[in-house]
Amino acid sequence: MIRFENVGLRYGMGPEILRDINFHLLPGSFHFLTGPSGAGKTSLLRLLFMALRPSRGLIFLFGQSLMECRTSERAELRRRIGVVFQDFKLLDHLTTWQNVALPLRVSGRNESDYRDDVTELLKWVGLGERMHALPPLLSGGEKQRAAIARAVIGKPELLLADEPTGNVDPQMANRLLRLFVELNRLGTSIVMATHDSQLMEQFGAPQLVLHDGQLMIRE
Amino acid sequence: MSWAGILKPDTWVDSVKASSWMGLAEAFMPRTMRDTSNPIVPPDSVSGRALTVVIAIMCFLACLTAGAVYMVYQSAAAWSQDLASEITVQINPAKDVDLDKQVTLISLFLAKQAGIDRVSPLTADQSAALLEPWLGQNAEITALPVPRLIAVELDRSQPPNLDALRSALESTFPAAKLDDHRRWQAEIRTVTRSLALGGVTVLILVATATISTIVTATRSAMASNREIIEVLHIVGAKDRFIATEFEKHFLIVGIRAGLMGALAAAFVFILMPIFLRSLGQGSLAAAEFRRLLGPAALDPQGYLVLVLVVIIVATLCKLTSRYGVYSILKSNE
Repeated sequence: MIRFENVGLRYGMGPEILRDINFHLLPGSFHFLTGPSGAGKTSLLRLLFMALRPSRGLIFLFGQSLMECRTSERAELRRRIGVVFQDFKLLDHLTTWQNVALPLRVSGRNESDYRDDVTELLKWVGLGERMHALPPLLSGGEKQRAAIARAVIGKPELLLADEPTGNVDPQMANRLLRLFVELNRLGTSIVMATHDSQLMEQFGAPQLVLHDGQLMIRE
Repeated sequence: MSWAGILKPDTWVDSVKASSWMGLAEAFMPRTMRDTSNPIVPPDSVSGRALTVVIAIMCFLACLTAGAVYMVYQSAAAWSQDLASEITVQINPAKDVDLDKQVTLISLFLAKQAGIDRVSPLTADQSAALLEPWLGQNAEITALPVPRLIAVELDRSQPPNLDALRSALESTFPAAKLDDHRRWQAEIRTVTRSLALGGVTVLILVATATISTIVTATRSAMASNREIIEVLHIVGAKDRFIATEFEKHFLIVGIRAGLMGALAAAFVFILMPIFLRSLGQGSLAAAEFRRLLGPAALDPQGYLVLVLVVIIVATLCKLTSRYGVYSILKSNE
């Protein structure tokens, strides 16, 4: 599913912020990505969803080397990945419903095919009454849930989540995590960046621990 | 696979959220909520409005130029047709020649020839009147050796062989000269072509300015919507999808601005005859203008030319933005 071989990353001429990263995640796995602030968790996730290119090393995603991917192939690969951002990245001029439906819309599907799915998912994440609201009118927690809904609406093979439960109350966090677990049970691989040690203990999934630019796997 | 299998109901929300009143509430939700035709590129921005105004001005100028060139073409075509349907026979005065008699004889000769509709000899006074613009109203003009003219209308359906007619006329009446207006027709063609070339040059300049404006606007729109493009890429949009979204945006701007410019130009063309009339019949400028452009009003085909300009401007907006988006996305790779 995901393989990193001696991956290093630096921004411009600065120091390497990720060094000699090696790991292999199997399909259907669930991993937490953790480490102190500034350890490079977000950069590692950005490498995974192809927003960054590594300074060195090889990354394989779904068995395909990202170095050899053409632009159109990258788009196809991204359609197999759902991403939850720390800053949500919702489009302010589209309604919550339209934001959540966006991955399906860009893949060229007919609205009639996914209309009910989007509505059903939004209701499930507690945004049934906020479907027509624009993101600037949503609370932080509501934006978080909309961002999660957008990431999972396409039933991705890989879900990358950057602090997905940071802005919601514990009850909703628990509920969203159960959604992730359910998706994982159905075959979606999940990599979730978090600081929440209680959450990691509760779920007991293996941890990718980043420290000082290097990665260690804690089973 | 339905979401129903994944989203397991729980106690605290689903008992409420899954209830039937939600379905009732949905019936009252605005259609726009589900309207994926909503543009992904925000349609209304300050730069969008400024761009609309600039393109509207460009389209206005293009429509004025195209309309004026069309009117000149129409006038020139009418002139050419008039000139081609007529010939003039000129009889030069000479010693011991009775000009009036010559005019009569030549008129009779011409009337007998095939392919001639009407022969209209001009009197000495009518010939002198033609010189008035240059010599003024002088009673002595008739005393000058002014050539006499015969206007001959040709049958356009069966025109005569002008070379044969000329040689027959000039061998029978040595003082007569046949003018088939070819030189004037050639000059009119030259003037018309020069005006058309000038018009096309203006249109090319307007098109270049429009393309440059759209390229700059596309760059600006892409820079200001960088986050939208990033999100679209992340959710799996291909460059073609992003380019199409920007194309739609600029096509709408192009159509809107094009129509504004064309309507303004149409308004000018509608008001122009009224404006010319207000200058008065005696105005030299108005008279020259009428001579050049005829009644200075566009016919229905002329207004179709304006519609064509709108279509060209809108297409230009669409294609330029498409090219601009692709080149920017490629350079960002």
